[in-house]
Amino acid sequence: MNSFNTIWANGRGNLATWLLWGLAAVFVVYTFASGGYLIAVLQFALIYTVLVTGLNIFMGFTGQVSFGHNAFAAIGGYSSAVLTATYGWEPLPAGLVGLAGALLCALVIGYPVLRLRGHYLAMATLAIGLIVYEVAVQWQSVTQGYMGISGIAPIGIGRFTITSDRGLLVFLMIAAALALLSAAGIRRSRLGRAFVAAAGSEDAARALGIDVARYKLIAFMISAAYAAIAGSLFAHAVGFVSPEVFGLPMVVMSFTMLYVGGIGTIAGPALGAIIISVLPESFRTFKDYQDLAYGAALIVILIYAPRGLASLPELWARWRRRSA
Amino acid sequence: MKSIATPTRILEIEGLSARYGHVEALRPVDLHVDEGELVAVLGPNGAGKSTLMNAIMGLVPTQGQVKFRGRAVPRRAPAAAAGLGIVLVPEGRGIFAPMTVAENLELGAYLLNDKHEYARRTARVLAMFPRLKERLAQTAGSLSGGEQQMLAVGRALMSEPKILLLDEPSLGLAPRIIDEILQKLGELNRQGLSIILVEQKAPLVLKLANRAYLLSVGSIAAEIDPRTIKSHDELVQYYLG
Amino acid sequence: MAQFRFTSGLLLAGAVALSGTSGARAQDAYKIGMSAGLTGYAATVDRAWRDGVEVAIAAVNAAGGVDGRKLELVVEDNRSEPQEAVTAYRKMLSSDKVQVFASGCVSAGNFAAAPLVVRAETPMVLCSILPQQPDHVKWAFTTIPQPRFEVETRLEYIQKKTQIKKIGVLHDPSPYANAQKAAAEKEAKDYGLEIVGVEQYKTDDADLSVQIQKMYAAGARALIKIGLGGTTLTAAKNIKQLDLDMIMLTSLEDIAVFRPVAEVLGDKFFFVASPSQVYDEIESSPLKTEIGKFLTPWRAKYKDRDPNWAGRGWDAVMLIAAAAGKAKSVEGPKVRDALESMDNFQGTTGIYHMSATNHQGITENPLLLATITGGQVKVVK
Repeated sequence: MNSFNTIWANGRGNLATWLLWGLAAVFVVYTFASGGYLIAVLQFALIYTVLVTGLNIFMGFTGQVSFGHNAFAAIGGYSSAVLTATYGWEPLPAGLVGLAGALLCALVIGYPVLRLRGHYLAMATLAIGLIVYEVAVQWQSVTQGYMGISGIAPIGIGRFTITSDRGLLVFLMIAAALALLSAAGIRRSRLGRAFVAAAGSEDAARALGIDVARYKLIAFMISAAYAAIAGSLFAHAVGFVSPEVFGLPMVVMSFTMLYVGGIGTIAGPALGAIIISVLPESFRTFKDYQDLAYGAALIVILIYAPRGLASLPELWARWRRRSA
Repeated sequence: MKSIATPTRILEIEGLSARYGHVEALRPVDLHVDEGELVAVLGPNGAGKSTLMNAIMGLVPTQGQVKFRGRAVPRRAPAAAAGLGIVLVPEGRGIFAPMTVAENLELGAYLLNDKHEYARRTARVLAMFPRLKERLAQTAGSLSGGEQQMLAVGRALMSEPKILLLDEPSLGLAPRIIDEILQKLGELNRQGLSIILVEQKAPLVLKLANRAYLLSVGSIAAEIDPRTIKSHDELVQYYLG
Repeated sequence: MAQFRFTSGLLLAGAVALSGTSGARAQDAYKIGMSAGLTGYAATVDRAWRDGVEVAIAAVNAAGGVDGRKLELVVEDNRSEPQEAVTAYRKMLSSDKVQVFASGCVSAGNFAAAPLVVRAETPMVLCSILPQQPDHVKWAFTTIPQPRFEVETRLEYIQKKTQIKKIGVLHDPSPYANAQKAAAEKEAKDYGLEIVGVEQYKTDDADLSVQIQKMYAAGARALIKIGLGGTTLTAAKNIKQLDLDMIMLTSLEDIAVFRPVAEVLGDKFFFVASPSQVYDEIESSPLKTEIGKFLTPWRAKYKDRDPNWAGRGWDAVMLIAAAAGKAKSVEGPKVRDALESMDNFQGTTGIYHMSATNHQGITENPLLLATITGGQVKVVK
């Protein structure tokens, strides 16, 4: 639990922590029980949790920037879609092929690209996302272009498939929890410390004998793997993929979730994914002003909790100390 | 290639230069450090002292040669230099603020994968800097400047270096803290550790150093014997050439 | 303070979400849902579609509704994105208890949501093309004319009215444009024409001269341009700049987009028009009568705004109203079955011949070729 201690550094056990988790629990239980469309919202939030957790390993832990992780989600999603819907594979081996494809792609692209720094790296990753999008549009014999691939079977192994909404919700909760726990494990490991060291100061890390370029590449590949898994989960959860699913809005969405939740923290991706998914739904009744309300809420969060929602307990503790 | 260096030389640098793009940040420099020596590198701001340290580590593109105990140190491979036992405490300390003190120390021994040896080294570092012991679980960013410098030195010691390069350890610290840190460095040197100490505030280190190099505008201006420098004014004369 | 404000904001948001899902429902309304791209790339088309649907619903309600029920519309913006569309459909199905859909032109969104709609046994009448899966098609109907009609109208003109034998096809990568391209490739020889070049562009391309010049060099003297938006004007400017002896015939679009194109290319520019776009030009017929029913309230509300996509929205509502009226029920399966029996149904776009095997009802080409001369839209006879 070491890493959780650092995350909730000064805020463990205080009211804000409990309130935050309590609200999340109430929302999950309510959604589960009511069975309304919020189940779909929560399902997407959990899939995004996996994606953003991966992004967090590269951006939060390792301090790099990627605008191109939608590419890896697309590789995972399309592998699952094509291999199951067109060639009748089982979801698991299809997903593994997607995972391997994303890892290979991350290795081939990351090796030269990660030598770039700052804006150049960001631009290069943005290009990866655009290229994969174009391939998904143009390679019609496989991807069917903008028509997309429909009729993707639900997730399952052999005869056991998850067809109910609640079953899928539980499955995705487990997937998201595993993503968070594995990220916590990585952060605590030797590998995780090397990532954070590279984020802190590349020169200092290199002076200590840490091969920064290599660890940046490893972080890039690990985060690509999370993105590929998220893409596969999406394909099976919705039963449909098309290029637009993995477009730039996915990048914008995952960035918002990462920063609102708390970049570099463990719980941040989950908090961000849930809040960012639920927030627009709460404002749906505002109709044309939905985006306005949503934007305003985001600004409020980022002003009062600039390090994300995961830092709220810490802020709360500081406020208590000040007023005491 | 056989070396002609005397066996007591731990570090020998020949014609080492560095450039950033078109700017020559360091003109060819020759210098050496003997086993167990504490060598000071002095010079005004912008003289290229930090570049020299980064060049020795291989953090910047260089020309020329760096030899460690007679063997050439690979260029542009700081991990290899660190593996040989050349360790830099960079300017501004380079500690990892979001990580705990314990994690920072662990990173110092990153090339080590032996728990017992790690525990032994940690105990040694904490014995030298007891204040770090109280702060082990705290994030490095929450330490005071002096404590951060101690952590930076402690972290470097975790790899049991053969030669320690320190880039302006006094930067931004109170005189009392500087004294404390320099005293620790003297102690380490007496235990046999070779040290290159880069400083702008020359008088601080001349008491400690066996020899000193004066760096001005990217090249060595003079090699001086600290014992011959009697006053600050005399040193200023050197700076001005 | 920040924490208080934030958490109370969350609670409020939760309360809003709760009230949204459990609001009172009018028992006697027939609820029509619409997932439309009111923002994003489909906004122009889908806003027109929505406005057409609204005008039609007002007209149906003014005439007493369907089977004694008033029609009620629930619109959700899908931002032209499939994922948003899935959420929107689910919200309308589970929270709003929508009984039928009249959804917009974001085909990926309609495809992505199709499994949900099928599971809920809710029929949908679409602006977009039909889904691919046979079990999805069972519940989906579309008002879109077959893609080949747009191509055939143009090929026929080239064959009958010009000496041109070689043509080029320039299209964007959208499914509908691809379907038109495929139709052109298949049918050109039936009209004695040879396609000497097929080129693709992206909807945000700022220059098409490379593609156009390539086809011109291969001998193309007529350009079949397929796709919406500003690229039509770009292509026209490129043809003019390159001073090519070439006519351009573009696909169906808001006529407002064509006016500047006509200024550039003059009599070398033709476009496919739906009957409602050239209402004043066509002769009296049941078609003209139906269009008139729609255009009267449309023009009263929107003046000379283009009626093409809105007209199809009108058709969607009229099809649903007729089917529910015939079924004497608003239950999904019954309305679906009734929609399948909508044969010889006169719409504003053409005559719908829905059947068990045909959910894309317009089987006879209703489209016309038109030009703009002196600012006036003229049908090419």
